[in-house]
Amino acid sequence: MTPEPAWRLPPRWVLLVAVVLIGFAEVGGASMARFKVELTRWARDAMLARPEVHGLVGVRDVDERVLDEALVKFDAGLRLFHMHAEGMGLVIVATTTVAATLGGAGRGLMVALLTAGGAGYPLGYLLWSGLIPYYGVEPGKRMAEWLVWIPFGGATILALWWLAGLVALRMARR
Amino acid sequence: MTVLLAVVLATPVAAHHVGTYVPRDNAISANFKQIKFAVQARKFDVALRLFERGDLRTEMRARAARLPAGLEAATRAALERDDAADAEGHLMLFFSALARDLARDAERQLAEAATPRAARLAIGQRFLEAIWRYYNLIDFAVSTRDSKTSVAMRLAFDEAETYAKTPAAPGAAPTVDPDKLRGAFRRMAQILSDLIAASSTSARRDS
Repeated sequence: MTPEPAWRLPPRWVLLVAVVLIGFAEVGGASMARFKVELTRWARDAMLARPEVHGLVGVRDVDERVLDEALVKFDAGLRLFHMHAEGMGLVIVATTTVAATLGGAGRGLMVALLTAGGAGYPLGYLLWSGLIPYYGVEPGKRMAEWLVWIPFGGATILALWWLAGLVALRMARR
Repeated sequence: MTVLLAVVLATPVAAHHVGTYVPRDNAISANFKQIKFAVQARKFDVALRLFERGDLRTEMRARAARLPAGLEAATRAALERDDAADAEGHLMLFFSALARDLARDAERQLAEAATPRAARLAIGQRFLEAIWRYYNLIDFAVSTRDSKTSVAMRLAFDEAETYAKTPAAPGAAPTVDPDKLRGAFRRMAQILSDLIAASSTSARRDS
């Protein structure tokens, strides 16, 4: 009977990335609370400076709702960054530990995909928030999708299914 | 293959969940609802206090020149003598005037021929939402006093919404003529002007 393999730690740089990501999440959350008024004022001013981007018509009763929606989404982007960065930091630690233990020959690539994907994905929300005042809610979202969410999220999904398949294969072989 | 690629390219933005925006009341509509609920509960002292300290009255004063003469004083007097129907009627006039002014603004902005057709329709859509936010607050009061006006307003709104929301083929310019939408806004402004004139006259006759 072969003994159960012991858990293997992922490389230290992976742990550093995960911990730094969680650190950014906490700083982001704290900054959102501390600078809420300043952030809202900055975003509002930037939007008012670009009326054509946001479709502002110069009538308060119309523009008020447009600005409110954009500001709600701006705030939502920051919140989603905070939550995803916290969560993905832990996901990186958990999944790369499994990959380091059971990953086999492709372990290095799998760990790299999980780390890069997990660390990059939350930044998409931060990017989206930053783009909203300059490009609008939907165009900003499209940019964040193609620049960050799809490549980094795709890397994570790909690596996770690869890992899941590998674990299933190990179980089947046993 | 092309279809598959189009689906893949189109899906992410629609599929990526980043929360839903629920439009909120502005200070005026929120204050109106507070006053209305206080009146419905027969708490006229509370309603009067909410009116005197609220944003609705501030806005009434700011727009006094475009409102029926003495509307603010009449609303206040109705609340003081615990007259729910009269207070509701005066508030109806106020929101009719807000919606009418928006319809006039919309008509004026849609007349800008230099603005691209799609942008004019988008502007129209935004004005429609703003008009409906105010008119929706008083539709019941309008329908109980003048059902024909209520129906006419809804028909004009439906017509405008049809023009504003008619989708264009992907990558193509909209087929709807913004002047049709402009006509619907003109009708709305006229309907609301007539309602304000008729209600103001009857209010003066009754007093």
